[in-house]
Amino acid sequence: MTSPIRYDAIVIGGGHNGLVHAAYLARAGKKVLVLERRPRVGGAAVTEEVFPGFKFSMFSYVVSLLRPEIIRDLSLPRHGLHILPLESTLTPMENGDYLAAWGDHDETRRELCRHSPRDAEAYDEYGRLMHHMAHAVKPILGMVPPDPTSLNPRDLFALLRLGRHFRGLGGERLHALVKLMTMSSADLLDEWFETDVLKATKAASGIIGTFLGPRSPGTAYVLLHHYMGELDGVFRAWGFAKGGTGSVSEAIAAAAREFGAEIRCDATVARVLVKGGRATGVALQNGDEISAPVVVSSLDPRRTFLQLLEGTALPEEFVADIRRFKFRGSSGKVNLALDALPNFTCMPGVGRHHRGAVSISPSLDYVERAYDDAKYGEFSRRPYMDIVFPSVIDPGMAPPGKHVMSIFVQYAPYHVNGGWTDAKRDAFGDAVIDTVEQFAPGFKSLILHRQVLTPADIERITGLSEGNIFAGELALHQLFFLRPAPGWAKFRTPVRGFYQCGSGTHPGGGIMGASGRLAALAVLGDGR
Amino acid sequence: MSGAGWDAVVIGAGVNGLVAAHYLARAGRRVLVVEQRQEASPALETGWIPPHIIRELGLASRGLRVAQPDPWIAAPLPAGGRLELWRDVGKSAEAIRRLSPADAARWPEFCLRMRRLAGVLEALYVQPPPDVESREVGELVRLARLGLHVRRLGKQAIIDLARILPMSVAELLDDWFANDTLKGLLGAAGVWHLKQGPYSGGTAFNFLHHHVGSPAGVFRPPRSNIAQVLTALPGVEIRRDAEATVVLGSDGRAAGVLLVQRHEQVEAPLVVSSADPRSTLWDVRGTLDPEFVHALSNVKCRGVVARGTLALDRPADFSTLCVAPSLEFLERAYDDAKYGRDSARPYVEAWAEDGRIDVHVQYVPFSDQKRTDEHRRALAASVGAALGAEPGRVTLHTPDDWERLYDLTEGHLYHGELTLDQILFMRPVPGWSRYRTPIDGLYLCGPGTHPGGGIAGAAGRNAAREILRKKRT
Amino acid sequence: MTLRTTPFHPRTAPLMEGQAWRRWAGYVVASAYELSHDREYHAIRNAAALFDVSPLYKYLITGPDARRLLDRVVTRDVAKCKVGQVLYTPWCDAEGKQIDDGTISRLGEETYRLTAADPNLRWLHLNAAGLTVTIEDVSDRTAALSLQGPTSRAILEGAAERDLAKLRFFHLTDGTIRGIPVTISRTGYTGDLGYEIWVDAGRAVPLWDALIETGAPYGITPAGMLALDVARIEAGLLLIEVDYFSSRHALIESQKSSPLELGLGWTVALDKARFNGKAALAREKERGPAWQFTGLAVDWDSLERLYAEVGLPPRLPTVAWRTSVPVYSNDRQVGYATSGGWSPLLKQYLALAHLEAPVAQPGARVCMEITVEHRRKQAAAHVTPLPFFNPERKRA
Repeated sequence: MTSPIRYDAIVIGGGHNGLVHAAYLARAGKKVLVLERRPRVGGAAVTEEVFPGFKFSMFSYVVSLLRPEIIRDLSLPRHGLHILPLESTLTPMENGDYLAAWGDHDETRRELCRHSPRDAEAYDEYGRLMHHMAHAVKPILGMVPPDPTSLNPRDLFALLRLGRHFRGLGGERLHALVKLMTMSSADLLDEWFETDVLKATKAASGIIGTFLGPRSPGTAYVLLHHYMGELDGVFRAWGFAKGGTGSVSEAIAAAAREFGAEIRCDATVARVLVKGGRATGVALQNGDEISAPVVVSSLDPRRTFLQLLEGTALPEEFVADIRRFKFRGSSGKVNLALDALPNFTCMPGVGRHHRGAVSISPSLDYVERAYDDAKYGEFSRRPYMDIVFPSVIDPGMAPPGKHVMSIFVQYAPYHVNGGWTDAKRDAFGDAVIDTVEQFAPGFKSLILHRQVLTPADIERITGLSEGNIFAGELALHQLFFLRPAPGWAKFRTPVRGFYQCGSGTHPGGGIMGASGRLAALAVLGDGR
Repeated sequence: MSGAGWDAVVIGAGVNGLVAAHYLARAGRRVLVVEQRQEASPALETGWIPPHIIRELGLASRGLRVAQPDPWIAAPLPAGGRLELWRDVGKSAEAIRRLSPADAARWPEFCLRMRRLAGVLEALYVQPPPDVESREVGELVRLARLGLHVRRLGKQAIIDLARILPMSVAELLDDWFANDTLKGLLGAAGVWHLKQGPYSGGTAFNFLHHHVGSPAGVFRPPRSNIAQVLTALPGVEIRRDAEATVVLGSDGRAAGVLLVQRHEQVEAPLVVSSADPRSTLWDVRGTLDPEFVHALSNVKCRGVVARGTLALDRPADFSTLCVAPSLEFLERAYDDAKYGRDSARPYVEAWAEDGRIDVHVQYVPFSDQKRTDEHRRALAASVGAALGAEPGRVTLHTPDDWERLYDLTEGHLYHGELTLDQILFMRPVPGWSRYRTPIDGLYLCGPGTHPGGGIAGAAGRNAAREILRKKRT
Repeated sequence: MTLRTTPFHPRTAPLMEGQAWRRWAGYVVASAYELSHDREYHAIRNAAALFDVSPLYKYLITGPDARRLLDRVVTRDVAKCKVGQVLYTPWCDAEGKQIDDGTISRLGEETYRLTAADPNLRWLHLNAAGLTVTIEDVSDRTAALSLQGPTSRAILEGAAERDLAKLRFFHLTDGTIRGIPVTISRTGYTGDLGYEIWVDAGRAVPLWDALIETGAPYGITPAGMLALDVARIEAGLLLIEVDYFSSRHALIESQKSSPLELGLGWTVALDKARFNGKAALAREKERGPAWQFTGLAVDWDSLERLYAEVGLPPRLPTVAWRTSVPVYSNDRQVGYATSGGWSPLLKQYLALAHLEAPVAQPGARVCMEITVEHRRKQAAAHVTPLPFFNPERKRA
């Protein structure tokens, strides 16, 4: 059966990048169809009522980097997007003390002073440097990466401009940028601070989603992400979306629909139809075929090229590059329904710290040891965790008086020794809960329900290969013109009319939407 | 001829110091080299000698010998016997085939690709690091020429360069090979003198750095008697047993050196130090910009290598023996160092030449003189065990020893780790990569500067040329 | 958590009539105690105003190399500072751009106290590499009051029961006030006769009581930051983050200033040994600074005319402003004013401005932007050397 409607473009996958992409195409007047395998849109940005009355941002749980131009272009606030700030970070220490960063500068300074007056000063200077660095990197996130191997004048020109941009930074900032791109977060932080727990908490944000430890080079630049948002005038950019991250997806979907896009759920694409080296449409698992001159995949590179294009002849070197592209999911998620908020030893009672993040990263060695376990194929016995209580800020997430607790856990390697089994998943969940219990005695008795998601579960449910939350590791050698493969970083693919727009393309990572948008601009540019 | 009329004093009679001294002498400078050690080390020097140096200083006719062991490495196999790799790529492939036919098939291509990348580094190493901030036309031309050089190598080389340099050596090798013994012996070169394991980013660069100067298929730097040849080369005066510190004049310029034990001052308008940057400048840090001093104290030079000798009562049955059975073995050895301990099962490599066996042991982290005799015994035992020898036959110098004896900061033999943030224009300190220091008349020429350790004499030559260029303009 | 309060808070809090608190370095201090700051201002020039200046950052620097450390950091020649003397000084980065300014009090042979507007502990430590010196942040431990105005001497003489006529401008002395050990320095931020009294934080309250009691007959008046702001503009004294940006906070090069550009050339001792920024400052002095920080006095007639055009009498700022205002010469922007306000004493509209050096000649005519009934106008002004107000009693 073929579809009677003629589509200009089909977008495979209704995650946030696919939806952003579709919205931009529809906004430009294209007739767009989005095909989503699951019953709901969102991909890894979904809110689900996992237990009756308890809603969870199942996977991705904070919104930080969603490009403000997307929010504006698609009028997302009108479609229900409301980002609530996440103001503080509390790190309980093993000796019963804590480190806290609050929303107020003076207060944070005072808290840091308690640990080290020198660090309190360095903190401000470090923040300024990061601000400069984010400023230096920002143009790159918004550009289509030029291909340094190409002799095309447009690429050469873009390279030259890029070179000039970096030289224009001046020596000091250029050097700082090189350091940031190449160092380990621990080494970089060592140059600034002496307080271990401060370094650990900062470094932890540098390992999220990577298969690296805080002492591994290449983790420093992830520190930048914390400062990116501020440049767009979104002060304190970390936040929850009201209604969970699913509401971000819903808002984008609503915008896309308003522009005329059609979104079909429960529609699994089996493969992309290719005729004479050109994409002509897609075949669904149920046998339906839908044709369109443009097909765009928001799935990760492995699924996009090795699954959807299975059987299509692709350049050998390209296939080798895609096979080499690393996923190595390293994180899990534990979602809990709670009878009451936990009581942390270091800061007893219910307080404003429950409105912010709680970081289980008491020391650099603690986080590094968590990595050591993963390095050799085990989940961390005592993992790094980033904990939030969305129901405190957004009461709609849980029944009155009850709470939901979201625990991002690292490391949980996809390739765990012996593979993930139900028993291993339970053991992993136990390790997480036992560790929290150490910092908040009595916590276990508050748990009403628990959901444990391993990278294998993340892969099974969302389709993200190896459960990598960034659709491919954000390592230096998988960024920019190398994401996902050299020569194919401009959203085009070796198959004409077939494009990629997921997080596995430049710039990738987080609920940012930049890939979807840039890819849409590329598609529209080619159409002209 | 004491005290009177030196144009330049060079601190350190290592290869870089001597090369710098001879280049200055050839330009007509009267050069004194001061060296704190009483005697020159009899060990062979490890590292590529740029052919320019051999040619320009006429070293070939002075008895320069570069060892060419064949096989260039032997590694024990878990099932007994050894994997031996040869200077001939085909012969090595044959040896690998017995372990993994797939690996053997990929060996020639791997050797070719790595050789091409090492060639790029060689081109970079025989000149001062590119100055990316410079607005000078000459520098821009040089940058453009470097860019062209890389582009001429073709698309694959550019991609390899961008992709491989930040990688871990483990990722690089896993892309190509399956056999643990092969990956272990190759990966070991990626962690030389680094407080990093093979799973850490940037170790692929370190691997290539140590491939520089070797033919395709040989992944250990050449070893030569260049130190002995340079010592014997006439043209400069060398004074031994002379520990020196830099002396500044009242105008803040370098005015010479003070020979500490002899309480003797040697005056010269130019001081060139091959000692490590931090110890060279530490005593005068009070006269320097605090941000510079801070950057200097941030140079990562965490010594992790113990070196020494092995005395066997029989001739060695190897030329190079590498005990690093797998990448995971190396990574676990690093794990110990990460938490401040000597590796319980260290990576050990032994080089036999002329009846002498030199040993390289990693990881033996700098402990700030906290290492006890007990630790030393345990280390000797683990090294002995790795080499199948009595612990009593192993003599080792640890990073603690290097620091105590020779004032080498944290006992790092390369005067600074070769991590991506500490190479090229970032070495030794960002913004000060051209051998200059904030003190007029004081230059650096040791491995702490570009291109770093493991390259024999390139820093010395680059520094001397930079000094002479400065004087001309 | 709430903001910190200063050691004098138990006394200052009950005085507060309008809940007009503001933040200063993480503390709360009074903007004005009364509903209007007028009386507090006039106390500075007419009687004595008492300010709580405890939030200042204070560092105690001791040891054989204490002077060397300070000499490395600041532009003044600290070697010339005798025991009992106080120096006002800026300090710079390597490029000669100003980081901060403050005072150095030499309390003993090897003991100095540095006050600063910004935290400087890390910077001091970075500079102390290789020196035998102890750096202590005593900001919390040391409370400070500033007593400013013509009757301040009489009050202090009464409280300390001693003659202070011999205590010269920018000198200090130890003393006791009702048995409380204090350090009295003849310094201030008003350009008037005045003193600052430094005391252990634990004895702050009784000191306050003693001064208020002794000062009552002399018109002592607790005053807040609004009154101080007017006085410091009259005195032509710089305020960090308002009149200049610390080079450490500046985001771009053009936000930075050198002491030479800020009219602090007299503090730059190029004849002393190396200090941060020396080489750059020497070069700048050689070629002449590009900018000049100076006073502007707005012409009353011009102001009156601009308002008359819309049928209004001139409106004057009731409090000193701290925004950046363009300054023109022949319709070309030649600089910007950073602080300004009405001087109730001089009956003049004053401003502090950065002008391109060639324009900044005393008496030169320029125009300053003002907004009259929502429209931008240019009021005539003339360049006036600082300070605007400099009474003899300040130094006498």
